Amino acid sequence: MTITPTQWAAILPLLFPALGACLIPLMSLDREQATAKWIRGAMYLTALLVVGAGFWYLTDLWVTGAQPSFAQLHMDRLAQFSGIFVLVAAAMAILQSWDHFHQEGWVKGETLSLLLFSVTGMMLFTATSNFVVLFLALELFSLPLYALVATTRPRPEGAEGGMKYFLTGAVASSCFLMGGVLIYGFTGTFNVSSAAALLQAQGLSGDPMVLAGAALMLLGFLFKVSAAPFHQWTPDAYEASPHPIAGFMSVATKGVAFIALLRIFPVSLGGVAGLQPHVQSAMAFLAVVTLVVGNLTALVQTNVKRMLAYSSISHAGYLMLAFVAGTPAAYTGLLFYLVIYLAMNMGAFGLFTAFGLVGDRTTFEDLRGLGWKRPAMGFSAAVFMLSLAGIPPLGGFYGKYMIFKELVGTGHVGMAILGVLASLVSVYYYLRVLVALFLQAPSAEAERLASERPAVRAPLAGATVLVAAAIVLLGGFTQAFLVQGFAQRALQEGLGLFR
Amino acid sequence: MTWLNSHPLTFLVFAPTLLGLLLLVLPQPLAKLTRLLGFLGALAVFVLSLAWLLGRPAGSLVEHAPWFTLVGLPVDYALSVDGLNFWLVLLTTFLVPLTMLGTWNSLKDRMGTFAALFLLLETGMLGALVAQDLFLFYLFWEGMLIPMYFMIGVWGGDERRYAANKFFLYTLSGSLLWLVALLFLAGKAGSFAPAVMAQAASALPFGVQCWLFVAFAVAFAIKVPLFPLHTWLPDAHVQAPTAGSVILAGVLLKLGGYGFIRFAIPMFPEAAMHFAKPLALLSVLAILYGALVAMVQRDMKKLVAYSSVSHMGFVMLGLASFTVIGTQGAMLQMLNHGISTGALFLLVGMIYDRAHTRMIADFGGVATKMPIFTTFFIIVTLSSIGLPLTNGFVGEFQILNGTFLSGFAWGRAFAIIATLGVVLGAVYMLWMVKRVFWGPVNPDEDSGTQHLHSDLNAREIAVMLPLVVLILWMGIHPATFQSVSERPVASLLKDANAPAIRPLVLPGAPLPAPVQAVAEGHAPAAAEVHP
Repeated sequence: MTITPTQWAAILPLLFPALGACLIPLMSLDREQATAKWIRGAMYLTALLVVGAGFWYLTDLWVTGAQPSFAQLHMDRLAQFSGIFVLVAAAMAILQSWDHFHQEGWVKGETLSLLLFSVTGMMLFTATSNFVVLFLALELFSLPLYALVATTRPRPEGAEGGMKYFLTGAVASSCFLMGGVLIYGFTGTFNVSSAAALLQAQGLSGDPMVLAGAALMLLGFLFKVSAAPFHQWTPDAYEASPHPIAGFMSVATKGVAFIALLRIFPVSLGGVAGLQPHVQSAMAFLAVVTLVVGNLTALVQTNVKRMLAYSSISHAGYLMLAFVAGTPAAYTGLLFYLVIYLAMNMGAFGLFTAFGLVGDRTTFEDLRGLGWKRPAMGFSAAVFMLSLAGIPPLGGFYGKYMIFKELVGTGHVGMAILGVLASLVSVYYYLRVLVALFLQAPSAEAERLASERPAVRAPLAGATVLVAAAIVLLGGFTQAFLVQGFAQRALQEGLGLFR
Repeated sequence: MTWLNSHPLTFLVFAPTLLGLLLLVLPQPLAKLTRLLGFLGALAVFVLSLAWLLGRPAGSLVEHAPWFTLVGLPVDYALSVDGLNFWLVLLTTFLVPLTMLGTWNSLKDRMGTFAALFLLLETGMLGALVAQDLFLFYLFWEGMLIPMYFMIGVWGGDERRYAANKFFLYTLSGSLLWLVALLFLAGKAGSFAPAVMAQAASALPFGVQCWLFVAFAVAFAIKVPLFPLHTWLPDAHVQAPTAGSVILAGVLLKLGGYGFIRFAIPMFPEAAMHFAKPLALLSVLAILYGALVAMVQRDMKKLVAYSSVSHMGFVMLGLASFTVIGTQGAMLQMLNHGISTGALFLLVGMIYDRAHTRMIADFGGVATKMPIFTTFFIIVTLSSIGLPLTNGFVGEFQILNGTFLSGFAWGRAFAIIATLGVVLGAVYMLWMVKRVFWGPVNPDEDSGTQHLHSDLNAREIAVMLPLVVLILWMGIHPATFQSVSERPVASLLKDANAPAIRPLVLPGAPLPAPVQAVAEGHAPAAAEVHP
């Protein structure tokens, strides 16, 4: 079989990270990798190069407007959008992890390799509406993440968190598989769009087994976006994993899961008339639960990483509200929100590395007074926290604004009120970070310990934090450009919305 | 220069931010230079605002351009200065440099950052005052919280973290619910322009209009603050550094009242009329409650804070009267309160810097130690009480007059009860003056009075003088400050379709001709103020 140039064009963006993922272990075979800086440098450089190549290739595709496909892999606008999204998150995570793993004293090539495999899986996950490919991609990006959580072997908590994530994740994956199998059993096709057409044509759209299948598939997605009540793994996994990996998981997993959910449920399965109201009400109910659980639990955390984990749960709730509204404009809001969320969360997790807080030293106590010691980082932290809280004029506000506007416009005023109340609650715990950073002086004990430690050097992590802060700040002033130039086009040309 | 000529408001609003961001990156060792730069910048903004606002014919300061369209809703970059915000803009640009100068040595550390935040806050305040698009207004309104949060939280007193969080969350709670109302109405209107939204609102059922008005009113009432939504204010005021308190009282609270005049009442005139009585009732309660609570305070700053609740109650009462004279009085009272209470906070800050205490019981006989300070304090106190010839009198008189004459059935009763608040105001202020300034010097070695070694210096006198001049000017010739807002206020009330004024006719007296007087915007009694 020969592969035509267009087909190459569709798979090349995935091949770059996959290639890197295969090459890096070869480099890390050298026993000296922990000591020889040039080997570590070469591994990181390779990782950055392949991510950069994928990014360059995808932006090139985006500019030309081509939407190539290869068998069940459709590199359409939406897939390109999410590919760029994942690659940017990966690049930030790689840069941060150079500093972080040097602080931890655990620099290993397999970490990078796993990360790149995960990236490949994520790009595939959003580029298909074939169930088998979808499942393969889900496993391809999930399995490396389970391992990544536990990657720092000297930390026993890592293994615990990774195990928890793996066990719950395995259940979710099997549910997802079961759901797909049920629908396949009725239709005999793995293609979700044609399955939807068949179900509608055979009058099976309201069949309980079809509903069960759809519900199980939905569960798989909701587990990945960490919506309540499938959120239990999130705080443990984030707390256990290295900071850059936690940031990457919080951003990329949630992002691709939402984009794939958008592709499958409202779009591909949109034609199944009996299904849509059920999905909508399930999303509405779970969004409320997620908002309440995420925000209220985040209030009582003492560890900032766990707080950020619950905050990421609550953000899943806001994003789910876009599905409740269910209008194309709400989905553009969702995509815009994800872009800003990428910058906010990668930045927020990058702060730990930039401040040199390794291991468990991620409580509010550990942050005290750091904002004044490192003003640029402190300023960025303020930008991230206020933006996460949705305070204008930062980028995070506009994401919520668009989703709430569509909610109100579609008559869900009560949901919108609940949403704003939830974000009011969230302000309190985001402000706690700023209180620790700026409003509290470090304790004498912490000062003494800090003076004994060597000065923190984290130039790469610091740079990613600054870039992320710039994106969040500018996102509040270029919102129309981002929405019309990217989010809207991805939905319009990728999914055929807005027609 | 051509750009400046066509965009003076943009420059006024954003120049402080640009300077503030510049000051933020200046290193810590240059803090003194940073502070100076901040002050000079704020002063330049004040001078420019004076030159540009006073020099142009009214209504010529308008900037309008489309900004962006999201989810089908266009947002306009619309700024303008008209009769309703003219003096508030000048008050803001005036108070910022003045406060910086007045609290020159109050802060010991990170004064450069403080100056930068102060300038960012100025942008928020000016932007909110001149914005003519509700989305833009919302952005500035919320953006204002961020610098204020840090000003209270970093440089405040012992309970600063609690106060800062309370201030932020309290204010945000109102405005987030307001945002939902805003989105609902904007969705119906397809625009954020107040006029278009008002039109859309009038087409909605009356019940929905009432809900929307309540959402608007609660957001603004929290800022005012109107009883019973005032509980954040004492904490914020007491904990904030002097400069923060001055600006909070001087400008931030005004934005609540301004929000009513600019948006809530014109957009929902019928609903506003419907809620006139509850609003007036709450205002009267605020007047009395604020005064009574102020009376029992031991901390001078807290006393001034509660007096703010009382004074702002007058503003809301004037607005709720729906008469031209009452609304005009409310507009003036907002300026009065900004100047008098701002001055009181500055004075309390000055004595605190010397004595490191604000407790009334720690003082006594200050007059013998600091005669110049005492003189200024008495003048400001009298203005706060509302002595004739000072600004406080004019504002309160017009508000009470308007309430008394208003066509509402409750007008007279409420006016009489509110007048009691004026008396109570005199009680708490004069009682404090008696305990702090008069009498023998506090004999206790550790008392505040014993630590007062110097009277006001030239800088502090330079700060107080313009305030005193304004207090007297506004008391003697209020027309300077009221003539611009006459026309907009009259047209505002015409839309509201307020009941006609009910003149008080004494038995046997000839009928007065009140209708004519109202049309001119002057109540009959105004002649008494400036003969």
